[in-house]
Amino acid sequence: MTLALQIVTSGLVTGLIYMLIALGVTLLFGIMRVVNFVHGELVMLSAFAAYFLGVGELGLPFGLALLCAAVAAAAVAVICQYVLFRPMHYDILNCFIIGIGASFALRSASWAIFGPEPIAIPAIVPGVMNLGGVFVSNQRLFAAGLCVALAIALYLFLHYTRPGKAMRAVEQDREAALLMGISSEQVYVTAFVVSAALAAVGGAMLGSLFGIDPEMGAEPLLKSFIIVQIGGMGSIAGTVIAALFIGLTDSATGTLFGGELAFIIDFAILMLILIVRPRGLFGYDVSH
Amino acid sequence: MNVKRRRLLLAGASATALGAAKAYAQAKVIAIGVSLPLTGPGAATGITTQRTLERGVEVINAEGVQIGPDRYTLKLAFYDNKYVPAEAVTIVEKLLADGTRFLISLGSGNSVPVVAKTTAVKALQMSYASGKAHLTSPDFPLSFRVAPTNETAYAVYPWVRSTYKDVQKIGHMNPSDEAGFTESEDRRMIAEKNGFANVANEFFKRGSTDFYPVATRLVNAKPDLIDFGGTIGRDQSLGCKALRELGYKGKIMLGYSDAKSFVEVAGADAAEGTLLFDTLVDPQNAQQKELQDWWLKKYGPPFPSFAYSVWDTPFILALGMKKAQSTDPVKIAEALRGAKWDGLYGPEAFGMKSVYGIDTSITRSIPIAVIKGGKPIQLTTVPWPADV
Repeated sequence: MTLALQIVTSGLVTGLIYMLIALGVTLLFGIMRVVNFVHGELVMLSAFAAYFLGVGELGLPFGLALLCAAVAAAAVAVICQYVLFRPMHYDILNCFIIGIGASFALRSASWAIFGPEPIAIPAIVPGVMNLGGVFVSNQRLFAAGLCVALAIALYLFLHYTRPGKAMRAVEQDREAALLMGISSEQVYVTAFVVSAALAAVGGAMLGSLFGIDPEMGAEPLLKSFIIVQIGGMGSIAGTVIAALFIGLTDSATGTLFGGELAFIIDFAILMLILIVRPRGLFGYDVSH
Repeated sequence: MNVKRRRLLLAGASATALGAAKAYAQAKVIAIGVSLPLTGPGAATGITTQRTLERGVEVINAEGVQIGPDRYTLKLAFYDNKYVPAEAVTIVEKLLADGTRFLISLGSGNSVPVVAKTTAVKALQMSYASGKAHLTSPDFPLSFRVAPTNETAYAVYPWVRSTYKDVQKIGHMNPSDEAGFTESEDRRMIAEKNGFANVANEFFKRGSTDFYPVATRLVNAKPDLIDFGGTIGRDQSLGCKALRELGYKGKIMLGYSDAKSFVEVAGADAAEGTLLFDTLVDPQNAQQKELQDWWLKKYGPPFPSFAYSVWDTPFILALGMKKAQSTDPVKIAEALRGAKWDGLYGPEAFGMKSVYGIDTSITRSIPIAVIKGGKPIQLTTVPWPADV
């Protein structure tokens, strides 16, 4: 029983962290049909920024360091939008390819700039909680709580603010939104900024839980793509459910059958979904 | 431009060309291909290796390698294999086709798949890799292992046996690749020979982020000591952190680590008490200090202690060339088998014929460190067992 509870607790917490990164991916896809491969590098760069601002010589309070990291990530994201994706007219295939290239370039440059030594953001909430034999670190709980708060904030932003409503309008029908006076280009910028901010928080949390190095964004991004594909590209609710599902599946398969099997199971689920329901559980047909 | 100036320029150009031609005639260069991960999950060790090898060759080339009347210099060509065996094979095939006959290879998954190819063309391969008979055997007389890896267990387990009498049950954690499988197999065998019971044998995907699943399995097996075997870099810190967060109170032992980075990422509390085999925390002799000082001056802190482990590699090759008085890989290999020298760790030798049937695997003392009060401290140095 304790083992089952440990599996569920670990899986939910990990799933929530993946969810935050996956939300940024699905947001951009939902609005612009852009599969942003640079998202993983935004996660990584934000973690480095939060580390150098909050832990390095500057020693800013962590909240401020995180805010600065989010601003920096947003700036990089908007630059990518204008330099990489806009000239491609947000074409799904071209953006996909150019995104992969940019991602490799940023990662390689980061090795040269930041060097080979892994670093980590110290836990904001140190210690471990023992819930009747089920262990979970306070930092993981803190990260999970922050991810839930941000997911709720994203929901409120999309449903109750003017820029959020504009984003949803463009997502639902770009031409109709244009006719209503909504600038799609402005909405795209907002989407990139919001997506980058989510990546920044995710990066800082990952940096405190798993350390920071130039490769740190690769696995979460891969997981994000699996999650977004299962949940349905562009579907916020689908992403949340799929993230929790993948978190639990990884935890259960990894604990019961060994770590290597987790990825195999993830991809098996993904293939099954693609065969049975290509648009994902809650997604819509991309061709329309 | 008047005629006088033109003549002057012509004379200058001729002199430069003559000088270059003379230098070209004198330059005898030995090309060494280096296949290592400069990106991907093994990049941290790859970049440290690249920088260290570059410095080593710089030092060697300052004097050169004298073979008869000729002075040779070494030239390294680095290739990023991304820690993907298929990439490593492609790189080595290209190098061998281009005539390169000296290879330095980092990582078991990158070294094992190419050893038959280097052996076939009589190229000398120096691997920093875990391996057994598939990398070190009489079938591969030109394949040398330049750092002790899985074999460290021959020295370390007897020391654990005599130092920590309460340790009876061992759990093993390794990456799910060539290095991990080799380390796991060898370490379990050596642990058993030393009277320990192996109670867990877990694998993880190199570069994973979430170690909770594999750590949960290990904790459930209730080992007294968990040996991280071929786990390197950030994976060590994350594995240790996950084990401690899940309430594991026993000992953790890991190796080939950058002690300071390990503590930084794992956190001081989680890292406390961890035993680090084949790990030098601080320089123990003048040569080690010189390497550390050079690194800090060129790249700034922190100094990755992994650099110590790879430092000797080009010097061993230079030693072989001098001993053989030849640039022929076959003759150099002959000179190196069973050779002894003073390296960065003191007396070193190619040996282990008793295990592999050929003296091509490095043997030397194994430094051991421990994390105490959040800081790595040099604990002891275990001599290489006489019967191995």
